Order: sequence, then structure tokens, then C-alpha cells
Amino acid sequence: MPRPSSGRTRGARRLAGVVLVALLPLSAGCRSTGDPSAAPERPGGDAQVELASHPVPTRTGIHRVHGRLPVARRKAVRRQVGEVVDRWWEAAYLGGTYPRSSFPSAFPGFTGAAEERARSDKALLTNQTTGRRIESVTPRRRAVTLDILATRGQARAVTAHFVLRFDTTGPRTATTTVRGRLFLTRRSGTWRIFGYDVARGARR
Amino acid sequence: MTTRRTDLVGHLRRARRTTRTAVLAAVLAATGLAIPPSAVQPTDVSLVKIRHAQGVATGGDDVVWILAVGSDARPGQEMTRARGDALQMVGINTRTGSATAIGVPRDSWVAIPGHGREKINSALYVAGPRGMAGAMSDLVGIEPDYVVVTRFPFFEDMVDDIGGITVSNPRRFSDPYLKKEGFAKGRVHLDGYNAMAFSRIRKGLAGGDFDRSANQQRTLRGIHARIRSQADEPGFIERGVMTVLAHTDTNASPAELFEIAQAVAQVDPRRITTCVIGGRIGFVGAASVVFPDVAQARRLGREARQDAALRHC
Repeated sequence: MPRPSSGRTRGARRLAGVVLVALLPLSAGCRSTGDPSAAPERPGGDAQVELASHPVPTRTGIHRVHGRLPVARRKAVRRQVGEVVDRWWEAAYLGGTYPRSSFPSAFPGFTGAAEERARSDKALLTNQTTGRRIESVTPRRRAVTLDILATRGQARAVTAHFVLRFDTTGPRTATTTVRGRLFLTRRSGTWRIFGYDVARGARR
Repeated sequence: MTTRRTDLVGHLRRARRTTRTAVLAAVLAATGLAIPPSAVQPTDVSLVKIRHAQGVATGGDDVVWILAVGSDARPGQEMTRARGDALQMVGINTRTGSATAIGVPRDSWVAIPGHGREKINSALYVAGPRGMAGAMSDLVGIEPDYVVVTRFPFFEDMVDDIGGITVSNPRRFSDPYLKKEGFAKGRVHLDGYNAMAFSRIRKGLAGGDFDRSANQQRTLRGIHARIRSQADEPGFIERGVMTVLAHTDTNASPAELFEIAQAVAQVDPRRITTCVIGGRIGFVGAASVVFPDVAQARRLGREARQDAALRHC
């Protein structure tokens, strides 16, 4: 169900800029919404896992668990889903050598059908359209916040709200923010992304 | 007098100055949002291209078919062994974002597999959700992937849980028992009770059972609009799935319900088409029934099966 659209007028670009500026601090707000009283199932002080494949680690937290899920399983879900999101970011935006225009395996962790959908949205879901003009990519912010659906002590589905911000150098020098939601369910023992709702903007 | 006049003029000037300052501050604040301050940004800063993409792919085919059944079970009665009063075959196309609902009047006289001919609402009572799916499949020619059965009090809770819905009501109608003061024509906000009443009332409608089924489809549109508008609120879909699990009987797993809910959230409201199967009213013995237009039902099924879109009703 691809529905890409782009701003065409200066007014639209300015509006888009305002939206982007407004979007950036919201990522922090996302983490702070789950105060202990509003989220009784929120885990304790170790609510973040760091996946340090780049100087800026991915910070994965849990917004809320809907249903009952033991603490050990929450931590496992947080780690596993964080890794799935990280693998996509690495394949689609951060990893590999630049400049390049080919992103043949940009969607690890997606279901087959979701990958097919995602391929038609490669302009947003990878660096394909700008990769030729990029010499390096440096991540600035990598944040993932999870809402977990659990029944009978098992995690069944996850919405991963994310913000990825990175700088690019070369002819295409910009700060790009990609944010949105990924939808995951567990299939054959692994978390797979079956859907996405993603917005992307760049500031040059 | 002069002093008072001077004071008054002074007040007016101060008020105007204050107003000008406030307006100036407001304009600066507004433009400050749109234009980055030059002191902290390089001169060639420009903000470009916010673009958006979304997609959902559920496990199987592009189109998911769900038979939604409103059971008239009374308190203490098992809801899957009561009559199915509200019957909607709902299709969702995860590729195109279209969706359709084919409504069947509850008194439709149809074949119930293994049970002869009966009103379709009794299929749930005599043969359970699977039997109801079979009867609908025989009539429309579409076998649903999932059957979701709820009872009216549960339906009310679910609508309340999502904060109520808004429907477009084409005509004023009322019911002495369910809604004495009636529903006004136009856009109406409904809480759980009123959504139930809006979907159940038949006697105050000129088209009886057919109009009631159309009202159920208006309710479904309202539920969709609510889900779509709140889907990006953290936890909204998860809460919705939990309430569906608590208030329905379904063969869909929690993960499948989650996938369906995300697919529903991505349905484009402009791509929703609905139709109620027509027919003529008659009698079988002393019972008033609807003889459904089977040819129309089959045509609708053929038309929508592959892409969940109806060209004609």
C-alpha cells in the first residue's frame, strides 16, 4: 500500500521543515510518556539496551506492555526487536560503503510480503535515491520505543516507534531524520517486520 | 476631568502598545517556528522533503476476509450459540488500502450447511461460527478467513474503549425502546450504547432490515475512522486488540488480530465501498423472511473477492 508524496511548493517545504523541527524533540517525549503510574508494567531502571555497532548506540526502551509478560521476557523482546530494527538501519542507511546506488538487501527482518511492499518505497526506506551523492554517513540518534502486546505470558506483537537521525557528507551534505513505526509479530521464533509507517525528512 | 482624560488616553496608548507588542511577539513567534534563527544556523539552511510511506502485509493473500457477527445472546447465554443479528462480510486489501463490507439482512432465508433452509441468523445458533461462515459463503461465494462474534454489551464496551465514533446518518429515526429521542440527521457522535442502538434499530427505518444493515456499515466506517485517526498514538492498537480479545469469540490469534488491526488502520476511507444484499420480503409458514437476491449476492462476491472493492451495489 505505498503512498509516497512530496512537498512541491516553497510553502510546502517550509511547512515540511516546521514539521521536521517539531518531529525531532518528540522522540525524547516518546520516552518520557510512560511514567510509572501510567505504565504499571514498565520495567525498572535497566530499560535500555545498547547495541554498539556505531559510536552512537541504539537505545531501545519499552513504553508499555499490554498484558502480562515476565521481566526476563520483556528484556528478551527489547533486545531482539532492537536488533531487528538495527539490522534494517544498517542495511538501509548506515552500513556499507558510500557512494553507492544499490541497496539489494535493504530489508533484513521483513517478512517476504512486507519486503515486497518496502521495495516500492525504497526512496524513503533506504538511502537509494541519495546514495550516489553521499561519501559518508554518521548516525546522530538511534532510538526505539516498544509497545508490546502479550497474552498468556508470551509476547505476540510489537509496535516499534523509532527515530533515526544521521549526517551525510559529500555532495549531499545533510542531516536526515527517519521516524515512524514498525509492526512486528513473531514467526517461527523470530521477530519479523510485517508493516511500516515511516516519514523521512532532510535538513541541508 | 483633564487628569481623568489624560489617564484614559494614557491607558488607551498603553493598551495599543501592549496589543502591538503582543501581535509583534505572536508574529515573531510564528515566523520563528518557520525560519531558523540565523545566529545558530548556516545561511544555506533549507528544510526539504518530508515524505511518508506506509504498508502492511498480513500473512496470506493481499485480501483478508472477516465475517463480523453481532450475536443477540442474552445474559448468561453463550454468544456463539445464539442468533446472529448483525452480519457483515468485511474484506480488507492490504496492497491497495481498499476495504468493503457486504451486509446481509438477518432474516434472509438461506441454506445452512447440514441444517436445511433457515433464516441466516439462526445459523449461529444451530451450527456455531463455522456454520455461519458456511451459510455466508454459500450466499456470497466468499469464505471468510476469520469469524469474529461479539454480543451487544461487549460491542458497546469496545466502542467506548476507543472513545466513541462519528457516523453520517442520512435520516432521522428513533425507537421507543432503544432510543426514544432518536438520532438526528447528519454527523452524529455515538458512545458505545448509542452505537449499539444505531446498529440495532429496525422498526423506525423505512427500509427495515436493509436499512439497519446499512446503518451497521455506517458504524463500521465510524470505527475505522476512529482507529485510523488514533493508530499512531502509542499503545492504541495494542489496547484495541486487548479489548477485542476480551470481548469477542474469534478464530484469529492475538498476532493475527494485531496484523488485521494494523491493516485496518491503513485502509483509505475513500476506498471503502459497501452494499447490502437486496431481496423481497415474504413468508415461510407464519414467519416473515427476506428472500435474498442470490444473483446480486454472488455478483458482489465475485466482484470483491480479489480486491475488496465493489463497483456497483
